[in-house]
Amino acid sequence: MNGASLLDIKNLRTSFRMSDGVVQAVRGVSLSVRRGEFLGIVGESGCGKSVTMLSVMGLLPENAAMKADVLAFDGKDLLRASPREKRSIRGDEIGMIFQDPMTSLDPLYTIGNQLMEPLRIHAKMSAREAARRAAEMLEMVGISSPASRLKQYPHEFSGGMRQRVMIAIAMSCNPKLLIADEPTTALDVTIQAQILELMKEMKEKSGTAVALITHDLGVIASVCSRVAVMYGGLIVEEGECGAIFYDPLHPYTKGLLASISGMGDGKRKKLAPIPGSPPDLMNPPDGCPFTARCAYAMKICAAASPRFTNIGGHSAACWLLRERRAA
Amino acid sequence: MSEELLGVRDLKTHFAVRDSSPWFGACRILKAVDGVSFGIGRGKTFGLVGESGCGKTTVGRTILRLYRPAGGEIVFGGTDLAALSEREFFPYRRRMQMIFQDPFTSLDPRQTVGEIIGAPLSIHGLAPTRAARAERVRELVGMVGLRSDHIGRYPHEFSGGQRQRIGIARALASMPEFIVCDEPVSSLDVSIQAQIINLLEEFQERFGLTYLFISHDLSVVRHISHRVGVMYLGVMVETADVDELYGNMLHPYTKSLMSAVPTADPEIAKTRRRIILEGDVPSPLDPPSGCPFRTRCREAEGVCAERNPRLTDVGSGHMVACHKVELQRKTAGETRSPSFEISK
Repeated sequence: MNGASLLDIKNLRTSFRMSDGVVQAVRGVSLSVRRGEFLGIVGESGCGKSVTMLSVMGLLPENAAMKADVLAFDGKDLLRASPREKRSIRGDEIGMIFQDPMTSLDPLYTIGNQLMEPLRIHAKMSAREAARRAAEMLEMVGISSPASRLKQYPHEFSGGMRQRVMIAIAMSCNPKLLIADEPTTALDVTIQAQILELMKEMKEKSGTAVALITHDLGVIASVCSRVAVMYGGLIVEEGECGAIFYDPLHPYTKGLLASISGMGDGKRKKLAPIPGSPPDLMNPPDGCPFTARCAYAMKICAAASPRFTNIGGHSAACWLLRERRAA
Repeated sequence: MSEELLGVRDLKTHFAVRDSSPWFGACRILKAVDGVSFGIGRGKTFGLVGESGCGKTTVGRTILRLYRPAGGEIVFGGTDLAALSEREFFPYRRRMQMIFQDPFTSLDPRQTVGEIIGAPLSIHGLAPTRAARAERVRELVGMVGLRSDHIGRYPHEFSGGQRQRIGIARALASMPEFIVCDEPVSSLDVSIQAQIINLLEEFQERFGLTYLFISHDLSVVRHISHRVGVMYLGVMVETADVDELYGNMLHPYTKSLMSAVPTADPEIAKTRRRIILEGDVPSPLDPPSGCPFRTRCREAEGVCAERNPRLTDVGSGHMVACHKVELQRKTAGETRSPSFEISK
């Protein structure tokens, strides 16, 4: 399994120093992204999904502290990489798209300027070459009359168009990994469908691996091949997309699926919400983070963290799945 | 169908905006809502869906007279609210309430939960004594699933879901008949969304509440609504009972909107044919001639650019505004069926 893995994370821990304590946002995440796959990372706000990927990118703010046993990208050890080496990986080998297309482009520079920057820096292209490539990229993401569009500023683009530009920037250096952090959350459904279709197409064409962070299970189901479910700073379940949706193992995943109102049948049946709210990561609970909201919680759940149990290439961290030892 | 509590007829809400600069630009009229009609039966939920900027929030706010309508009627319990003065309208404010999208900005950070929920009681003179008011606040807090020791706390001490519960308690305080729910769950996590939706449904059953449920989330709307209206660029393009709309959508915009919703089912997602719309919603300052959707519609023809299609009943209360649908019905020889027009 490791042979094909592009990004390897082992036991990643990231915390933030705040005025009133330390928030342990990521509390021991192990994850790998394989070459050319479409991985979905799903979870509710504050579960640590974005922080995990920001840690990989080395884009954490000043008040953050990060530790990991392994953090390797394409054979390079990111833990030992100098800032300079990290810079050369960022934007070149790993591209990133952020949630808010309104604030992730610089309003003071033209679209062309922002598209050409990575090409000039990473691919060391001449201004003329970069301009040609930038126009090509815009055309590829479906923006018409790219030559004149290059001279425009972000405010002249709509939300969906800006997200297309972000994708063009992220893909311009042919990265091996594209990290997309809630790329369609700020967009309307019809525009979301356009962007997801575009991401799928770009992935197919270039063979880039994509790690898609989202809270929307519908988005996951429509594009991802493998899914990791996060809760309370940990991964609780991981597996093939179909396995997660049709045969969820962890009670949290089951609860999440039961609490969405599907488009499928029109029955006005009562939704089954998960009671309570996610744990406070300033004082994270011992044991499984889902214990307080779990209908099947046992004594051991609050005392010790469950380890992953593998059931046919699909694994979850839950005590229910451990074989009971005879007393 | 049950008695109609709210009837909106040809509602128009226009805003004056300046083109380029706030001072020197030419003044233009933005027709945020331009002739919308629908009715809501007592005790029912009407879901209003559409993309951002289609005017669905403006409809909700105009009904509550937070914006002045530029035309049309808002008939609530037999009275046309659009024709009332501010003073005459005041008693209706008690009967119509609103739940807002953002539980972070819709609660005053300097008021305690008790003050927030108690305000409507004082304003409408519903609690004669302080003790009665405190008692009623305690009751409301319990109803929405908060504890009575929460009453003295401030909004920042609560999570998003809890804040939305406070907002619901405030809306229920004056015992309204009608509540505009403007994207009440959009900013919440899915596991919390279901809690709030169940709460809203429970109160509807218990108090016979009527909801106008505004949302861009088509699956939530399907779950909670009895009747649904689809808006595009300030007009209603299709409205029908929920099962009829989701099972037999006729307007090309409704079809593409529905097909764009990602389903949480990988097998269906793989096999399903999606209609991907091209381009963006046109600016409401400069709407296209004729049918507003024609610039993105695959089936658009010459007539679509010339005339505005009328919202027409195609049977059993299913109304569509589309020339193509009208044409197909005519060629199918169904012209004999009664079809009456709502807008002029």
